[in-house]
Amino acid sequence: MQPLLKRTQPAVRNRVVVPKKVKRVLPHVVLMAYVAVILFPFIFVVFSSLKESNLEIAAHPFGFPTKLYFHNYVEAWVKAKISVYFWNSLYLSVSSSVVGVLLAAGTAFALTRMKLLRTSKMIYQFVLIGMLIPGNVLFIAQYVLVMKMGILNTHWALFLPYTAGALPLSVLLIAAFMRNIPTDLEEAAVVDGMGAIRMFLVLILPLTLPALVTVFIVNFLGVWNEYLLANFFISKDALKTLPTGMVGFRDAFQTNYALICTGIVFSVTPVLVIYAFLQEKIIEGITAGSVKG
Amino acid sequence: MKSTLKNPYVYAMFVLPTLLLYCLFFIYPMASSSFYAFTDWNGLEDYSFIGFDNFTTAFNDPDFRNAIVNNMYFILFSVFIQVPLIIFFAILIGQIKRFQGFYKTTVFIPSILSTSVIGILWGFIYEPEIGPLNKLLSVFGIDPIYWLADTKWAMVSVLAANAWQWMGFYIVLVLAAILAIPREVNEAAEIDGASGRQRALLITVPLIRPIISVVIMLSIAGAMRVVDIILVMTKGGPVGSTEVMASYLVNEAMGVDPNYGFGTAISLIIFAFALVLTALYQLTFGRNQGGND
Repeated sequence: MQPLLKRTQPAVRNRVVVPKKVKRVLPHVVLMAYVAVILFPFIFVVFSSLKESNLEIAAHPFGFPTKLYFHNYVEAWVKAKISVYFWNSLYLSVSSSVVGVLLAAGTAFALTRMKLLRTSKMIYQFVLIGMLIPGNVLFIAQYVLVMKMGILNTHWALFLPYTAGALPLSVLLIAAFMRNIPTDLEEAAVVDGMGAIRMFLVLILPLTLPALVTVFIVNFLGVWNEYLLANFFISKDALKTLPTGMVGFRDAFQTNYALICTGIVFSVTPVLVIYAFLQEKIIEGITAGSVKG
Repeated sequence: MKSTLKNPYVYAMFVLPTLLLYCLFFIYPMASSSFYAFTDWNGLEDYSFIGFDNFTTAFNDPDFRNAIVNNMYFILFSVFIQVPLIIFFAILIGQIKRFQGFYKTTVFIPSILSTSVIGILWGFIYEPEIGPLNKLLSVFGIDPIYWLADTKWAMVSVLAANAWQWMGFYIVLVLAAILAIPREVNEAAEIDGASGRQRALLITVPLIRPIISVVIMLSIAGAMRVVDIILVMTKGGPVGSTEVMASYLVNEAMGVDPNYGFGTAISLIIFAFALVLTALYQLTFGRNQGGND
């Protein structure tokens, strides 16, 4: 386009003549400022976590720690039980996302590939109603339900609502993906006498993998970060997840900011590491989830 | 031979687990909410129907009306401050070529983190004695401000932290729409001598109106739901200055003296508000979206 532009429009110029270089750099300056605002808290937290005490943070809040003080990490992990919260979060997130994805995939398979069309249409619409109901509207009713089921203060109290809560969107996204898989393969498989269950496991599931990964990530992050249910459905310290454990941790060590920052580092790092590897997938998954929701 | 995909038992095996979980944790709580909302149930077995009493009690409570107003602040802040900034940054990222990926991934980071951790992190930044914000301001001779403890500042502080968390997510949403605009449109305008600002305002913005509309709707829905960040940062205080409907619900219904009937009534009110606001938006501004096409 460049040469054409030069030939046809030699005289057009901006009224205010901004040097070309400034014009090119200016957006970067503005964006870098924004990036700095985003990243500053993290850098600040990492620095503070390596400082010995509030005194040192107060003395040079923005500087490097004078001496790297890793003791906070040991103390937070062992004494303050961050390790307990961490593993609770990890295994709840993984188990509930895996189960949720598999259930949703099975349902999506039945809805899109099996030949009970009218039933499928009804069930699909019925499941989509769930997308209209914002999560925390159900919060108290779910609390009462969990209490009546006698699983309050166990991990089931979180596992079940988390898994169920992710189902409508998961079914929607996976079904949308499965609809685009051509039916030729299955027809051949049916001729070969393959059963529906094997067809699902051997044929469709591997083909759907990209969608499954996306849905898994969205669900994983949702559970990893969930606060409201975790806060009220679990009161035993040993069962707490990172978001609620961290708040308890803060309230217990109100004055020790270096230690609190260490806790923040522990809870944020795994997510950031996953993000570093799967950023495209994560962005795609989270934005797709919200727009369709 | 064909019947494997028509076998109702296999179909049920795929669909039933999902439907069961979904009905138990979505449909049943929704139904029971609508039931308890008209009772004075407090967790014990006996309760009585009290008609619309819970609803009138709520609307007669100045604290609840104050919470509604605070929710409106969230909406106004999102729509009139966040959304223009989101569009601005998205356009800026959209028109540069170098580092585009870097900006996109960086601004998105806060939206994958737990709100409770972000609340703790910002609590530290706002800390009056050793927090970095006051340290920074003290360079300019400004006295320490009690960001989260001062009724004048608490709301603004929470709004800023909330914006920090969510803006990147919306920027990426809008950016995707901007990058989907065919290059020719902008190139043609450039040849016709349109300046960068003209192209942004007269071409890009009208073309991305559908996504802006989505962003506004999501912001409204998000503002009605906001609760985690409030509970973690201020618990609704000081003196109710940051109380929103959902935190009011939690504080009133889940305290030492639980009142589930009242709580479910509040959740239904929040749900109704969200529905009415999005419907109103759809009918007024949302409808003429794409009118310029």
